[in-house]
Amino acid sequence: MRANLVCLWAFIAARNSIAVNSIDDELVIPNETESAGSADQTCSILKSSNSPENNTYTVGKKEREEPEIVEELEIGLDGDTKINAVLFSNETIIKYPFGEELTLKPLPRNFMLASFAFELQSNNFTVGKTESAYDTYRHYTVFPKALSPILEYTQTRQLHLRFTHGRWDAESWGQLPHNGTKSGGNGVELWAVVEAGSQHEAFENWIMLANSLSGLFCSSINFIDVEKTTYPVSSFQPAEERTIPIFNSSNQAYLLRAALANEPICTENLTPFLKLLPTRGRSGISSLLDGHKVFDSNWHSLSIDVETSCNGDTCQYQMEENIEMVFNVPNSLARADNPIPKPVRDSDLQCDESKPHDSWECFPLPQSKHTNFQLSKLFGKKILGSNLISENPSKVCAQVSDSWTVYVGIDDDLFATDDNCFTIKNDQLHDIHLKSDNTAHLKECEDVPLFVSRSLTGYGQDSGGLRTVFSNPSNESVQAIYFESLPWYMRLYLSSLKIESDAGLEIGDVIKSTFYLPAIDRERPTHLEFNITIPAETTLALTYQFDKALLKYAEYPPDANHGFEIESALVTVLTPIHYEMRTTTLLLSLSTPDFSMPYNVIILTSTVMGLAFGTLFNLMVKKLVTIEEADKKASAKVGLKAKLIAKLKKLKGKGDKVNQLKKDQ
Amino acid sequence: MALIERLQRRASNWGLLPRLLQLLPRLAILSGIIGLGWLAIYLPLEGEFRHTYISENALMPSQAYSYFRETEWNLLRGYRTQIKQLADESSDQRNAVLGSWLEEVGVKTAIYRDPVNGDSLYGVWHAPRGDGTEAMVLAAPWYNGDGDFNVGGTALATALTKFFSRWPLWSKNIIVVFSEDTRASLRSWCHAYHNNLDLTGGSIESAIVLDYPGSNDYFKYMEIYYAGLNGELPNLDLVNVAVHVTEHEGMRVSLNGIPESEVDEEDYYGRMRKMLLGVRKMALAGVQTCYGNEAFSGYRIQSVVLRARGTDGPFDITTFGRVPEAVIRSVNNLLEKFHQSFFFYLLLAPRYFVSIASYLPAAIAFSAAFILAGLDNYLKSSMKTSAGPNASSYTLATIFVFVASLVASFGVFQIFVQWVKPAILVLSSVMASLAPIYPLKNRVSSAHAQQLKAIAFFYLSVVLTSLLVVNFALAFGIGLLAFPMIFLKTTTNPRLAIKNSILLTATNPFICSCLFANVFESQLPNLELIPRLVSAWKELGCWTWVLISIGWLPSWLTMAISSLPTTDTVSTTQKPTTLDTDVKKLQ
Repeated sequence: MRANLVCLWAFIAARNSIAVNSIDDELVIPNETESAGSADQTCSILKSSNSPENNTYTVGKKEREEPEIVEELEIGLDGDTKINAVLFSNETIIKYPFGEELTLKPLPRNFMLASFAFELQSNNFTVGKTESAYDTYRHYTVFPKALSPILEYTQTRQLHLRFTHGRWDAESWGQLPHNGTKSGGNGVELWAVVEAGSQHEAFENWIMLANSLSGLFCSSINFIDVEKTTYPVSSFQPAEERTIPIFNSSNQAYLLRAALANEPICTENLTPFLKLLPTRGRSGISSLLDGHKVFDSNWHSLSIDVETSCNGDTCQYQMEENIEMVFNVPNSLARADNPIPKPVRDSDLQCDESKPHDSWECFPLPQSKHTNFQLSKLFGKKILGSNLISENPSKVCAQVSDSWTVYVGIDDDLFATDDNCFTIKNDQLHDIHLKSDNTAHLKECEDVPLFVSRSLTGYGQDSGGLRTVFSNPSNESVQAIYFESLPWYMRLYLSSLKIESDAGLEIGDVIKSTFYLPAIDRERPTHLEFNITIPAETTLALTYQFDKALLKYAEYPPDANHGFEIESALVTVLTPIHYEMRTTTLLLSLSTPDFSMPYNVIILTSTVMGLAFGTLFNLMVKKLVTIEEADKKASAKVGLKAKLIAKLKKLKGKGDKVNQLKKDQ
Repeated sequence: MALIERLQRRASNWGLLPRLLQLLPRLAILSGIIGLGWLAIYLPLEGEFRHTYISENALMPSQAYSYFRETEWNLLRGYRTQIKQLADESSDQRNAVLGSWLEEVGVKTAIYRDPVNGDSLYGVWHAPRGDGTEAMVLAAPWYNGDGDFNVGGTALATALTKFFSRWPLWSKNIIVVFSEDTRASLRSWCHAYHNNLDLTGGSIESAIVLDYPGSNDYFKYMEIYYAGLNGELPNLDLVNVAVHVTEHEGMRVSLNGIPESEVDEEDYYGRMRKMLLGVRKMALAGVQTCYGNEAFSGYRIQSVVLRARGTDGPFDITTFGRVPEAVIRSVNNLLEKFHQSFFFYLLLAPRYFVSIASYLPAAIAFSAAFILAGLDNYLKSSMKTSAGPNASSYTLATIFVFVASLVASFGVFQIFVQWVKPAILVLSSVMASLAPIYPLKNRVSSAHAQQLKAIAFFYLSVVLTSLLVVNFALAFGIGLLAFPMIFLKTTTNPRLAIKNSILLTATNPFICSCLFANVFESQLPNLELIPRLVSAWKELGCWTWVLISIGWLPSWLTMAISSLPTTDTVSTTQKPTTLDTDVKKLQ
């Protein structure tokens, strides 16, 4: 194996030496890509021995293809032996700015939140030097090579991408993880701070960014266009402690945001997320992440935040990746045993003994409060050791109450800690055992400062209404910003804004200020931001009406009868705590034509036009006469038939004459 | 052009137009007969109807195995025993207990308070990892249409909700509704859902109402009701799915409450009876007993009622439960709203139907009949008045009378909504029907009378024509019942006046619809129909009362006025002209 490695490194070095020799700058970049690709292969070899053959094969193949390189190989080897020695003779593991942690948090009603957090940093880079201008070799180390060029050429200083699906049951589960700042609305949500000279340039960069991310994440982010993009004014603001670095002083930073409501989120979106990690999902906690299990959860959210932070001219990307999901533990465990939730067996029925029960009837007992399961049962596999390349080893923490006992299982041994946090060591298989006699007893859930729900009202094809219910259960008044971006085909009437409140509140008591940018057909969505104050222990509803526009024939999507997805609204709570939450998405049904109708219309119009043309043509080319005249002419005119008869008669007459003559003779 | 010209000349040479004009009254009668014959005799003929089919491929009914069986049966019985004990409790108590069971399953519940029509408990089961933008409704009213306590239905809805909550495959939320009754309370909940409920689960695609009164384990056959308010029908795909699934489970299907003995009759008369029953149920939807699907009309929700009949039989209550299970799973497969299949159809049997193109001529024929009759009267009156000195004053007077009867009808409509006294309404109708034999000094001129008849017929025809696509059954029904008005003659003969009076009585909207209801609907005895019409308008938003009192009544009133004793005043002042010369003038 070691021989393989040396060989590989030699190969890389050889490639590099070629690259350095090359005059053409553009050639350098593909070479770098190549080396980055090999670097992860090295990683995988370091971690486990599952693919040495593959590597040998690759090297071997390359050698066959490029015999000249083989010749240079020796030279390369000489030059780089030191590095090799540093890399591989040292038994201590390499340290990179990477950290990962899995937090398990049981929720009421036997749900459990599993929250994977990854943090990584790029190497330093210097402002004003593009990638190709580097005279030295550019290292990406743990920071994904795929992201950095995109950020660079679109001049993106902050990137926030969210893939979320499902419903966070705030009433029962309390606050969203990370105060809601790491999860989006149903579907895909993207916002970014882009440096540009003008808004137009910023938008161009933004579209470029969206298109690039679309390819990277196998998602339809490229459907983000001018119709969906907003420039938030008071929502989505970057955290105050972070200043946005501007590389060119004549430029400005622009905040752009768009969402694709109910964009399906699937395994093909998870794979790119894992590929961004240095461990590639093959070691550390990310080895648990399997698409089948992640997307079988009731709620899941994948998020990426990349921020640029600078110190003078030296800058650095800081990236956070979060993958979070909520399982219904009994259901997930049952599904692991039997994928079909068949009726339980007679012997497994749990009946309420205080009510009539026999072999014929059974009133079900509430859910069992006992639980005892392993994480491997929930995720289908065990943790494949620590990540091995980080400064900090992988960590797993369980936020549980006293009623729970948590162990980490290594081989057949179980270990426990005081704070229920476990460090994953080396490359052993780890499993977490959770056990409880009272699953309802949980660590204090923080209550949500505000409940928001939004629904469509009305039923017509031409108009409708939106109704948003705000409910503040606490005894403090809540200040928040309500952000909504609605497609142009919902023609909103802000004048119809009304408030429904049992407490007799007026609009002025609730909405302190409004930012409203009306939509322009096909060019801009409606952009609405309310600064609201909800008094303590109050429930109120804001309603407004809209008209439904007619779309052009070609603007309907292929599944026009499904309805049109309306993205969720964002509520950013400012006081008493900073918290973000989103409403559910909505499905708007517009009047949809029968798509075979245009052909019917074409046929009908053609018929009508044909008739009209025929009549007009007749009128133009024919002479107008009175009926009497026409009759007279008709009687005077000798028809074809009459002419023929006359001719025949003539012939006959001639024949007769001839006959007569013959007879006469 | 030349061809048309030639034909036209031929026709004028033969005097076809005058002859046709003379035949108008007979043509009108013929047209009416064709209308009735088309629907009742022609359509049930072999070859005129089609087999139903599932048009939306995504539905795939009964393609998945139904698991509502085995121990689910024990749970269902467990719930049922508890619900049986709730029968005597107050509505609040019942809703509170059932609400707590649903919360236990993980359903978000809320109670919609309606002090007038009764509270409704409803719960939203949020589909795990679903969008939450669409929903399917499973409704089980506490009391069914007949007023029986819906023990089986509510127990089934609870057990099914628990059963559904274990499945991960839902793409749409499931909303389970326990309203007080099948009528106003469910309707009021549905209205509130689209206006001001705080707990919602997205736009509702379909609704299934479970009706299983009694705590019997077994039942005989399944009844399916589908006719919604104001002529609205659920998409044929949903009805097909329900029929398909039910028959797949081995049960027989009775549509619109056909008695069990007739369920299997699929011969010509069987089909005719089933279709005419369907038309009648559609026309009287909201007025007769509501089984629950009517509540969802007008909100783009496809709904059917599944009703268990018979207390003994080969099928047990979980077999019944597998039908909503399979239907909901089918609807869950949908990616788009129901739009593939027919929205306008008549069913001749669970698996036979005729589409709108086939049945529409029946109602068109009645509209045409009234147009022809109106044309006839108009030509006759214009013949008499065209040369007269006060032709325009006649027209003005006619318009005035018609507007007056329109206003009067509107008055009747408004007054009887507030003050439901069917006896007075019918009595005054009878009084008005006696118009032809009133001993009046100032008689109406016959030309005037004919003009009034013309406008009455035209108005009725316009009403029926605009109604025939939207609510075919009602348009057809009004056309059929008002058809004898065509036989009203403008006459000075006292014997014929009595006949006119009888005809007027027979075509009076209120008298004749009450008579119809008494003959065909055992649930609507005597004058019960009128208060039902009014309450359907007030509580359900069913337009039948409006159409009868503003669509039909004005033209009847105008007819009654035109039937007042007449004189031939015009003929005394002017020499009668021959029909032919007049027609030439028209040309």
